Amino acid sequence: MFDFLIQGFGVALTPLNLGLAFLGALLGTLFGALPGIGPINGIAILMPLAYTLGLPAESALILLAGIYTGSEYGGRMSSILLNVPGDAGAVMTTLDGHPLAKKGLAGPALGLSAVSSFIGATVAIIGLTLFAPLLAIVAVKFGPAEFFALMIFAFASMSAMMGKDPLKTLIGAVLGVLISTVGVDSGTGVLRFTFDMPELYDGIDFVVMIIGLFAVSEILLMLEHAFRHDQDGEMAPIGRVMVKMSEVLYCKWAILRSSVIGFVIGVLPGTGASVASAVAYTTEKRISDHDNSFGTGNMRGLAAPEAANNASAAGSFVPMLTLGIPGSGTTAILLGALMLYNINPGPMMFREQPVVVGGLIASLYIGNVMLLLLNLPLAGVFARVLQVPRWLLVPSVAILAFVGVYQLHSDLMAIYLMLVIGVFGYLLRKFGFSLAPVVLGFVLGGLMEENLRRALSISGGDAGILFQSKLSIGLWIAAALVVLVPMFAGKLKAKFLPAAKAS
Amino acid sequence: MKLAADRILSLLLLGLAAFVAVQAWQLEVPFSYDPVGPKAFPLILAGLLAVLAVVLFVRPGASGEWPTGALLLRLLFTMAVLGLYAALFINLGFLVTTALVSIVIAWLFGAGPLKAVVGGLLLAVGSYLLFTYGLGISLPTGSWIEPLLGSN
Repeated sequence: MFDFLIQGFGVALTPLNLGLAFLGALLGTLFGALPGIGPINGIAILMPLAYTLGLPAESALILLAGIYTGSEYGGRMSSILLNVPGDAGAVMTTLDGHPLAKKGLAGPALGLSAVSSFIGATVAIIGLTLFAPLLAIVAVKFGPAEFFALMIFAFASMSAMMGKDPLKTLIGAVLGVLISTVGVDSGTGVLRFTFDMPELYDGIDFVVMIIGLFAVSEILLMLEHAFRHDQDGEMAPIGRVMVKMSEVLYCKWAILRSSVIGFVIGVLPGTGASVASAVAYTTEKRISDHDNSFGTGNMRGLAAPEAANNASAAGSFVPMLTLGIPGSGTTAILLGALMLYNINPGPMMFREQPVVVGGLIASLYIGNVMLLLLNLPLAGVFARVLQVPRWLLVPSVAILAFVGVYQLHSDLMAIYLMLVIGVFGYLLRKFGFSLAPVVLGFVLGGLMEENLRRALSISGGDAGILFQSKLSIGLWIAAALVVLVPMFAGKLKAKFLPAAKAS
Repeated sequence: MKLAADRILSLLLLGLAAFVAVQAWQLEVPFSYDPVGPKAFPLILAGLLAVLAVVLFVRPGASGEWPTGALLLRLLFTMAVLGLYAALFINLGFLVTTALVSIVIAWLFGAGPLKAVVGGLLLAVGSYLLFTYGLGISLPTGSWIEPLLGSN
C-alpha cells in the first residue's frame, strides 16, 4: 500500500529534486518572512520560476510545495518580531509571539515556534501518508455527478469556515468561476466572453491571473500601508535562537492537539491555515489557559497556532492529491500549476500520477527536516530579511511579476491583462474579499462545468442524476450542513451564552 | 459610509450578472450532442451572482478605508508607472525600463533621491544578471540597442 512512498523517495532523493526542495525551503522561508507577503503571495510571485527552469511536473511541484511549506515557517518571524502577520494564517501567532519578543524572549520564541512548526508538519505529513491512499480508493468511485457535488461541498465549507464574511466568500468564488468561463468552450467550440480579442480565446491564463491578483494588488496595498504608517513597528532584538527541552515539553500537548486540529481542518476542502490556527488557538486557550496568560506571552499560545498552520498546510494536500480539490487557496494555485502540465486533477490523479504524488509526499518529509535545520540556527539571518526596506522590496516584486509573465508569453497583452487583474484584485481586497475563494473558483470553475455537463449528458439532461448515488447525496447533505450548522450554532450560542461573545 | 461601499458593489455585481446573462444568451450554439451547451453554466452563475448581490444590498458588511486625496493620486500614479513599464518593456528593453521604474517606485516608497537612484540601478543590473545568466531567461534588450550592436 505504501509502494507510492518508496517510489516517491526514489523521485525526491535525486540530486535535482533534493536541490529544488532545499531551494523551495529557502525561498519560501525568505518570502514568508517578508512582512506583508504571506505564503499565497510568495508562491504566486515565485511560481513562474518553476516554468522558467523548464522542470518536469514532479520537480516543479516539489519546488512549489517547498515554497509553500517554507513560507508557513517564515510567516512566524514578522508576527513575532514586528507584530505584523505575514498573512491571515499568521495572525494568531502575533497574539503570544510578539509579547514574548517584547519580554526579551524573541530568540526562544523563534526556536519554540520552529520546533512546533516542525512537529505540526510532521504529524500532518504522516497523516497525509496514511490517509491519502484510503481516500484515493474511495475517490475512484467518483463519477462526474459526485465530483460536481464535491466541488459544491468545497465551496460550502469554504464559505462556512472562512469566518468573517461568508457572503463575500461566496461572491468571490462565483466571480472566480465566472472568470474561468472566458475563452473557447471545450464542449462546443463556442467563444465565450472573449469580446473578439484573440488573446482571450484560450481563456485567462493562470499565471497572468495569479500574478495580477496577488503580486500587483500587493504592490498597491503596500503603497497604501507605507503611506498610512510611516514606519513599521520597532523590531525586537532577537538574541540567541534556542529552545529548551523543558519549553517543548511544557507545550507538548498543546502542540500535539493543535497538530491534529490543523491536519483535520487542512483536509477539509476549502479551508486553510487561517482557520486552523484560529481554531487551535481558541481550543488551547480553553483547555490550558488557567491563569489567563494567553495573549500576554504564553509559550503554549505561540506553539498552538504555529503547529496548526503548518499541519494544515500539509493536510491541505490530502484533498488536492486524492480528489483534485484544493484544501486551501495556496493548494489551489499548486493545482492550477499542475494543470499547466496537462495533469488532470481529479480522483484518478493518485493512480495515474504516482511519480508526481509520491515524489511530492516524500519531498514534504525531506523539506520539513531541511526547514527545521534552516530555521533553528539561521532564524537570525532570516529575520534580517525583515529589515529589507520597502523601497527595495516593492520594485523587486514588480520586476518578478513582469519577468514572470513576459517570459511565459513574450506578449504585451498578457502584461496589460496582469495589470488590469491587479487593479481588480486590489478593489476586491479593499471591499473586504479574501482572494482565496476567487482562486479556488477560478481553478475549479472549468472542472465544475465539465463535470456538470458530463453528468447531464449521461442522463440525457435530467438533473436528477446529480442526486442519484448515495455518495453524491451524502456530499450534498454535508454541504448543506457545513453552511447551516454554524449559522444556527451561532444563533443558539448568542441566545443561551451571551457571555461567550466576550471571550 | 462603509455600508454604502457595499451597496455600490452590489449594484455593480447586479450589472455584471445582467451583462453575463445577456452575453451568454446571445451565444450561437451549433448543433451538438451536449444537452447542456455553453449557455447554461454562465446563466446559472449570473443568476447566483444576482441573488448574492441582492443579499449583499440588504445586508452590507464592512469594507476597508478607501483611499482619497494624495494617496489615491499615488496609487493611480503607480499604476500609470506600471502601465508605462509594460508599454516600454520590449522597445526600450529590460535594463533601462527596470532601472527607471525601480527608481520611481523606490522614491514613491520614501527613499531619498540618491538611495532611489543607486538602489534602482543595482536592482536593474542585478536582476538582469540573475535572470539572464542565472536562470537563462532571455529578456528584451530593446530595439534601440540592436542597431548599436551591428547586424549580428
